[in-house]
Amino acid sequence: MIDYDYKRPDSLEEVFRLLQEYGPRAGLIAGGTDVMVKIRNTKKAPEVLISLRGLTDLAYIRKNGHYHIGGLTTHRMLEQSELLQNELPALYEGASRIGSVQVRNVATLAGNICNAAPSADTAGPLLALDARVTLQGPDGERRVPITEFFTGAYRTVRKQTEVLTEINIPAHMEQFGSAYWKQSRRKAMNLPIVGIAVSLRLDNDTISDSRIALTVAAPTPIRAYKAEEFLAGKPMEDAVLAEAGRIAASPECCTLRDSLRGEAWYRARIIEVYVPRMARLAAERIKKTH
Amino acid sequence: MPDYLFVGKSIPRTIEADKVTGKAVYINDLRRPGMLYGKILYSTHAHARIKRIDASKARRLQGVRAVLTGRDIPDVRVGFLKDQTVLKKDVVRQFRDEVAAVAAITPEIAEEALSLIEVEYEPLPAVFDPIEAMKEGAPLVHETDARGRPVKSNILPLPWKFSVGDMEQARKEAAFVTKDHVSTTWVNQCCMGTSGCVAEFDQSNNLTLYSPTNVIFGHIGRISEYFSRIGLAGKKIRVVNPVVGGSFGTKLDTDIYEFIAIQLALNTRKPVKILFDREEEFRALPPRQPAVFTIEQGCDREGRLVFRHCEAVLDNGAYTSWGATTPSVMIMPMSSLYRVPNVYFKATCVYTNNIYAQAMRGYGNPQATFAVETSMDSLAEAAGIDPAEFRLINRNQPGDETPMNLKITSCGLEECIRAVKERLQWDEKKKARQKTRGLGMASLIHVAGGARVTKSDGHGIMVKLDEFGHVDVIESGTDQGQGSPTVISQIVAEALGVRPEDVFITFGDTALALWDAGTHASRHTFMAGNAALIACAKAKRQILDMAVDIIPKIVKLNFKRMKRKDPGFAEPDLDYGLIADPEDLDIRDRMIFPKKEPDHPYFRVPISDILRNGLHVGIGESRVVAAEAFYDPPTEMLNREMKGNLSMTYAFGTTGVEVEVDEETGDVRILNLVAAHDVGKAMNPTLLLGQIYGAGYTGVGYGLTEEIKVRNGRVMNPSFRDYQMLTAMDVVPIEPVIVEPDDKDGPYGAKGVGEPGLVPTAPAIANAVYDAIGVRIRDLPITPEKILTALKQKKGGMNV
Ligand SMILES: Cc1cc2nc3c(=O)[nH]c(=O)nc-3n(C[C@H](O)[C@H](O)[C@H](O)COP(=O)(O)OP(=O)(O)OC[C@H]3O[C@@H](n4cnc5c(N)ncnc54)[C@H](O)[C@@H]3O)c2cc1C
Repeated sequence: MIDYDYKRPDSLEEVFRLLQEYGPRAGLIAGGTDVMVKIRNTKKAPEVLISLRGLTDLAYIRKNGHYHIGGLTTHRMLEQSELLQNELPALYEGASRIGSVQVRNVATLAGNICNAAPSADTAGPLLALDARVTLQGPDGERRVPITEFFTGAYRTVRKQTEVLTEINIPAHMEQFGSAYWKQSRRKAMNLPIVGIAVSLRLDNDTISDSRIALTVAAPTPIRAYKAEEFLAGKPMEDAVLAEAGRIAASPECCTLRDSLRGEAWYRARIIEVYVPRMARLAAERIKKTH
Repeated sequence: MPDYLFVGKSIPRTIEADKVTGKAVYINDLRRPGMLYGKILYSTHAHARIKRIDASKARRLQGVRAVLTGRDIPDVRVGFLKDQTVLKKDVVRQFRDEVAAVAAITPEIAEEALSLIEVEYEPLPAVFDPIEAMKEGAPLVHETDARGRPVKSNILPLPWKFSVGDMEQARKEAAFVTKDHVSTTWVNQCCMGTSGCVAEFDQSNNLTLYSPTNVIFGHIGRISEYFSRIGLAGKKIRVVNPVVGGSFGTKLDTDIYEFIAIQLALNTRKPVKILFDREEEFRALPPRQPAVFTIEQGCDREGRLVFRHCEAVLDNGAYTSWGATTPSVMIMPMSSLYRVPNVYFKATCVYTNNIYAQAMRGYGNPQATFAVETSMDSLAEAAGIDPAEFRLINRNQPGDETPMNLKITSCGLEECIRAVKERLQWDEKKKARQKTRGLGMASLIHVAGGARVTKSDGHGIMVKLDEFGHVDVIESGTDQGQGSPTVISQIVAEALGVRPEDVFITFGDTALALWDAGTHASRHTFMAGNAALIACAKAKRQILDMAVDIIPKIVKLNFKRMKRKDPGFAEPDLDYGLIADPEDLDIRDRMIFPKKEPDHPYFRVPISDILRNGLHVGIGESRVVAAEAFYDPPTEMLNREMKGNLSMTYAFGTTGVEVEVDEETGDVRILNLVAAHDVGKAMNPTLLLGQIYGAGYTGVGYGLTEEIKVRNGRVMNPSFRDYQMLTAMDVVPIEPVIVEPDDKDGPYGAKGVGEPGLVPTAPAIANAVYDAIGVRIRDLPITPEKILTALKQKKGGMNV
């Protein structure tokens, strides 16, 4: 029988205390939509689940200069945020395509990236938006760029005793347009076959700065740096974007694999097609907001 | 048109309120005193010899009441061809082979016990491709047949063959001929409720099995045969349905888990429940049969079909259930969808070490129609005829007798094709083509008035009324969620003259019901409806007989009372001749009245008055109202040549779709889907649409996304995460067109509609994809990968 204890502290201090008390025998749980599935599938559970759901003041979306998203913010909150929809559309799209309304009502952004699945739908958008992650532990707080957060499939730099308290997106992202595409067979309740997030900034019609992020393209969500470098200073033209797509889909940027959900060649094709499409969409969105 | 009060009306579903409020007792909810929980240990190899099983640790686990292996139960063969045992003792032939079973006081303990059973296997060479399996020297899935005689090949002793006309001559006469290879894959029925049962013996070893089967009497037959071989011959078996969350074919056969529950109950002397989880539902239930076809058709210069020649190979998997009999249904579209004089069809079922297959909505028809209708499209193109026109030229018509001897009575196929053309603006859009958009259509024929697959295709029903005017109907069919409680109560209410809410139907209990061939083959409304009409006519006559006696008594008693109140009351002079003969009376909306004067001030009486006054009379005079009927239509079983008019009537329909294909990604988007169905008569339009939408969406899934991925015999995607059944967010706009030619044999003109909507959907999509981008995908499902690959080949690029 799968047996575990469940604690629901009301403060971060209490969370840290419990984490220290139980050490590796404890696990954090937020919405539980990854944790509970994993317990069921592996028939193994930590001795104690420490719920973060008592930390209600960590559920927020704010802008004061930077964008601040609390560690207990659900995807549903992101999906219903006009701020996000208008100013960080890639993240809005990533969050609003997760699972179903029922899942998004409980599942959190922090959970999505702490679980660190190669397919995490918000990971691409966060990479494309230069997000930074705040981790708080008993010894204080540190900030990690999202580009350094993922260390492998289902692995991150987060220490056992740390809680992700905030995701922060720098103010300069205001000047970028962004878009996220999730390729999947169904419109809901599906993991992406591949995910493509693009953000960019234009200087007249040249691309002055861009981010291209891919999920299910490597063991972790990644940035396609080579494709971004190629775009720098180039005009928004079909041939240019197509070449960026090709570079992004090539081994220069990703390590695509065959899996049950999709073959490598097909994933490459989708990346090639959607890097330009998302770049165009991102560019359109800049014009709209400025 | 007769003026019906309830037939043809969208009466809301009756028992669904219990389902949505959690009151309905599904197998999940069913608990019996002292009940144990059973779990099954499955094979971890596709083909292997069991060298050793050690269950001793599992037996010692606290809370475990029984652990059974193949060595602990009688070695008795079960199944359609008796090609398997309940627990496998020496050899496993597929990953879902049941090697051991546990009964414990909780499901968790049972689960834990499974993990303590040690099984040592010695792998054997396996074969997974039916074509490979047919070759000489292929590993044999079974070394002997059911009687222990050695076999030489994996081909099943079930040769399905149909041949009419002169193929050689026909080939010569054909002006245009096309030949195509077509294949379809495994799909899961995806019932919302997972499978399960509770087996319970009384002290004398009589069995009650709570089972979701839709063939309750077939269950008794199979279990009693099993009983006769395990020393329980002659014991009473009662099969009772809990509330069932869908069947779609999964519950047609008695599944192995049910025999296991019976064995565990026998062994422990306690009720035992086995309940599948979703993963088992994917791994250990038999899905739709996959098939490959080579189909050749020819037509003359005018576009008239001259011949159809088709050979099919079916992957039977390791054992045989109803899936192996799907060719008997495939013969129907092969021989009788459109007029075609010369037909040859042969199907070979081949054992492999894959999971074995069963029935699913449409029963072979979707596979065969995918072959026929994609081939129709190629042939139309070869002949230079518009695909819709080509179908109209060859359409079935009322009065036809097909090469299979099906007698077509009502047939709205022409109307269906024309309706699809009109709604899709077929001609206009074909002229003003938009790049990457396309139109396609496909039609269907299906049994719609029963299907005589066993000697009796009958349905028994009992109707009784209590003194309050409530009607109890004891149905011998089952309700797996299709809406029968509503439709049958509409029929009974209409026929008896009560209201649908007065009718209470008991389904699925062999101890109460008469007999029924099964709630399958889209037959329930037709059969139970006709049986109900007969029984209701009898009951109604009994009521009217009583009314003839009782109405005058009631009226006179009334007058007496009035006189007592008012001595001056003058009794009116009434024409008692109006109610002298039961033939002169009728019942409608709970009231009995003389036909000649329905609003008669004295002779119009509530039905409950008659029933009460008829019952509470005295010795020798008290009467109750009850009637039964057994409707077994004058149809034919297929003969040795696979011919025979097996149904009273046939359903026709046409699905048309408009798609848009993204040539860069291979994604197909359905812009419109028109589903035109000849249903005879729409008994309850809302429920009918439910069937059409549901079947239509399942057809879209069959066409585009659904596939059980079986690799080397193992199911790789046993969950809804990876099995791509469409969700509510994926619905496409379905525009239904209801064609009602009123069938002369159907209850109030109705025909069966349960399966048809699924049948033509996938080929219509395939044809539309071709129309859009010029590549034919003849291998289901039509995935973006297949489209991209085909496009690349078309452009002369290299294979990916
Ligand atoms: C039906 C279904 C559909 C789904 N569909 C999608 C989908 O489309 N796309 C997608 O990307 N995912 C999907 N998921 C996965 C899951 O919903 C997401 O990853 C979700 O964001 C996880 O959030 P959660 O709050 O439920 O995390 P939990 O399950 O509670 O936790 C996940 C992990 O993160 C850790 N954790 C959570 N919060 C914190 C924190 N604040 N600090 C430190 N560690 C933390 C936990 O310890 C655990 O390791 C689906 C899941 C289900 C069940």
